[in-house]
Amino acid sequence: MGQTVVDVNDLSRSFGGKTALESVSFRATAGQIYGLVGANGAGKTTLLKHLLGLLRATSGAVRVFGLDPVRDPVGVLSRVGYLSEERELPEWMRIDELLRYTQAFHPTWDASYAGELLETFALDPAKKVKELSKGMRAQAGLLVAVAHRPELLILDEPSSGLDAVVRRDILDAIVRTVADDGRTVIFSSHLLDEVERMSDHVTLMHQGRVTLSGPLDEVRRGYQRSRVRFAEPFEQPPVLDAALAMEGGGRAWSVVHTGSLERFHHSVLALGGVVVESRDATLEEIFLAHAGRSRQQVEAA
Amino acid sequence: MKLRSPIVAMLWETWRVTRVEAAWKLACGIVGGLVVLALHATFAPADNAKRYEDIMDMGAAMAMTVLVLPHLIGWPSMAKLIGGRPGFPLYLHYTRAVRTAVIVGLPMAYLTAVSSAIYLGSALLLRVTSGYAFPLLPVAAWIAALTVIGVAATWSTRNRSIQVVTMVYATAIAWFISVERLTAVEIPDTFDWPPRLWSTLFDWPLTDYAWIALIGLASFGVTAAMVARQRRGDELAASALAVVTRTPGGWVGLWDCLVGLFPLPCPTLSATRAQVWLDLKSNGFPVLTIGVTLAIVIRLMTAVSGPLDAAFLEATIRADPSCLNRDCITLVPIVPVLLAVLSLLIVLALAGNAFRIRRRQGRTYVSAFEATQAYSTAQLAVLKLLVKSACVLAALITIGASLWISLPLLGEAAFIQLWNVRPDSLRSVIKDAVAALTGYEQLALVVVLAVGVVIWVAAFAVLGALRTRYSRRVNIAALLLLLYGLVLGLLALAGQRGIGPEIPLGAIFRATSWVAASAIVLATGYLLWRGFAEQLLTLGHACGAVLVSAAFGAAWLTMLRAAGVSLAGMPTTNYVWMLSPALLPLMASVLSPWSLSRVRHT
Repeated sequence: MGQTVVDVNDLSRSFGGKTALESVSFRATAGQIYGLVGANGAGKTTLLKHLLGLLRATSGAVRVFGLDPVRDPVGVLSRVGYLSEERELPEWMRIDELLRYTQAFHPTWDASYAGELLETFALDPAKKVKELSKGMRAQAGLLVAVAHRPELLILDEPSSGLDAVVRRDILDAIVRTVADDGRTVIFSSHLLDEVERMSDHVTLMHQGRVTLSGPLDEVRRGYQRSRVRFAEPFEQPPVLDAALAMEGGGRAWSVVHTGSLERFHHSVLALGGVVVESRDATLEEIFLAHAGRSRQQVEAA
Repeated sequence: MKLRSPIVAMLWETWRVTRVEAAWKLACGIVGGLVVLALHATFAPADNAKRYEDIMDMGAAMAMTVLVLPHLIGWPSMAKLIGGRPGFPLYLHYTRAVRTAVIVGLPMAYLTAVSSAIYLGSALLLRVTSGYAFPLLPVAAWIAALTVIGVAATWSTRNRSIQVVTMVYATAIAWFISVERLTAVEIPDTFDWPPRLWSTLFDWPLTDYAWIALIGLASFGVTAAMVARQRRGDELAASALAVVTRTPGGWVGLWDCLVGLFPLPCPTLSATRAQVWLDLKSNGFPVLTIGVTLAIVIRLMTAVSGPLDAAFLEATIRADPSCLNRDCITLVPIVPVLLAVLSLLIVLALAGNAFRIRRRQGRTYVSAFEATQAYSTAQLAVLKLLVKSACVLAALITIGASLWISLPLLGEAAFIQLWNVRPDSLRSVIKDAVAALTGYEQLALVVVLAVGVVIWVAAFAVLGALRTRYSRRVNIAALLLLLYGLVLGLLALAGQRGIGPEIPLGAIFRATSWVAASAIVLATGYLLWRGFAEQLLTLGHACGAVLVSAAFGAAWLTMLRAAGVSLAGMPTTNYVWMLSPALLPLMASVLSPWSLSRVRHT
């Protein structure tokens, strides 16, 4: 187990009367890549902003490198690289000025790495930020976030605005390099294939709560998707042990479920059915099952 | 809330964006007007009926001016939707299936109607409370015309120069028409438009209303046509971020131009130097450049004022030879002085937003890019305030210096005839006053002025930060203060007119000054404690703040003594009131980091 880099404990935050985060706990260790998944408004950006000290917790505690990011912004931010969702950069600055300005705050700035990325992204140092396209702006933001080789890299929707090539080849490579060096990456995304491809750990957020969190392999192993056929048709989804979500109708149903397969088989048999096929569920299926379940709970309440 | 049609939705949106500003305009007009009337009632001599009436007439005229003034600044809350830039602010409607004429016409009509309604409401209230017949419809109609022109000038074009020229031209025409009409008949021993003549003076001919209707139609037509152009192929319209992204050759905004004017390389040796560079480039140098430009303009205007004065005078005499017998003058030599005063006000107004709080689509926030740089909040606040203050101070000094060297070159006749003073003698008065001070007093004067500018900049910055973080609470607090002023004004007026029981206004004012002084002390103490509790302030920062405050306090006392104010034997209330400014630097030093912390870590 690596050193704890981020420790969020029972964090809650509300904006006016609206709860954005409710009793969220999250832990990240060095050398791992953490993917935050959730629909829009799930609370991913709010959680990341707490890690940067941009938001104060209503209750609970946030520690990054053992420090409170609100009380000790210098101690935390000097070791963190951040790419915001809005790609907010000073419009009037030229790219070279942006690099020099950011460099001044980070003694660990790696000029050769910055030059290498500048070349990879084909960014013109003389161009002003306001003259950049959305994608180029994302690339410039990514460059200044990683060029000082931060111990913790926080990326909020990093793929947004990047074309497929940059996303697949460059972003993945950067993130993997950072993690291989023993540093930590936390990124949020609503692109589940991206999270599945890049992360070692996945945390699923829904309506301000963490509904699922763990190493990606463990998470995927813990969920199966099975096709089930019953002797008699069902008008409503049948009640099956450990089932999270069901699709289909009549005799044929598709089920995302947890727990052992044997137990699930027994449960299906008890209702006069058989399991036709079973496989590990994809992250998307797990996400949809959890999101759908929460929605049902909300509607029932 | 269910909005049944696009028209209702658009009206609702315009109301939502402008409601706070409308409330402020209404409150400022009413409270300002009542305070002006109350002050005149307080200071007018009750034993001299003629003099009393003259002073109250003057007060009523000034109150009416106060009612009109808020409408000359247009509707900044709409412009804030696109970061204060010119252009159509409700560009998000471009993607709705609504005709451009409706998109433009609805908010335009709404703003015009609200401007007039605000004036009418304020004037009616002042009519009832003061007994003066404040003109209603005629002034409301001209306010509508000015509003519609202002809106048209702001929305029709993205070119700041065209916008400014149009507004200056419209205001100047309105000014000349007002002066011509209100001063048409010279009234001996008083000003030319006393309230007793208002019903006659403000009885506009019907042609005025026809002109106003024509202005409204023309403004609407021009705006609709120009906004339709913006809607068809506008870059801003296409950008959901509302960022003006012009090609390098195009118009990029005055402020953006000024930011790019100084190609200084960013230092990389330390974070402090890099931050100073950022604040100088983006916040300090533009103010300084504007100040220096205005100083140059003042000097150039002075240089041409002599020949221009002679030419205008000659033309006046040719047109009216009898004016020679009346020592006729032109106002040309006064223009550089007026411009200098205006320039000082402009620079002081530009001293705001030292924390670089941004506005977009009604949202105010600090840039996440700056907020996530590894720099302590207290240091950041101090650094931003010092950089901005230094540039503001430099701009003020430049303008002052320009006026100083210009004064001897200005024609004297106008100054003597209007104010019975020679421009050069003003310099002598200031020179003598400064020379009469000892070295220590001169140093104290410099400290008071310099720290005064920093406090001014800090006050703006803190207010901006607090409005960003606690906008509703700040608005409520400010409105309560205005309400308090309104009640005091009404009480003073009631007392003057003999209505109701006698109110001990003196005691209320004394209590107010005690409450204000106590609030400063308590707030400073509380914020100091919070600053340490949140690890926002360090011992070094607190010591620095105390040192600066002590230096300012000593300088302030020295200046009071130099001005002949003796604190010995002064009533305690006055004593506290005179010394309370000495607390301001300490309060600014703890309030600034605290307020920046509130917007950096929301």
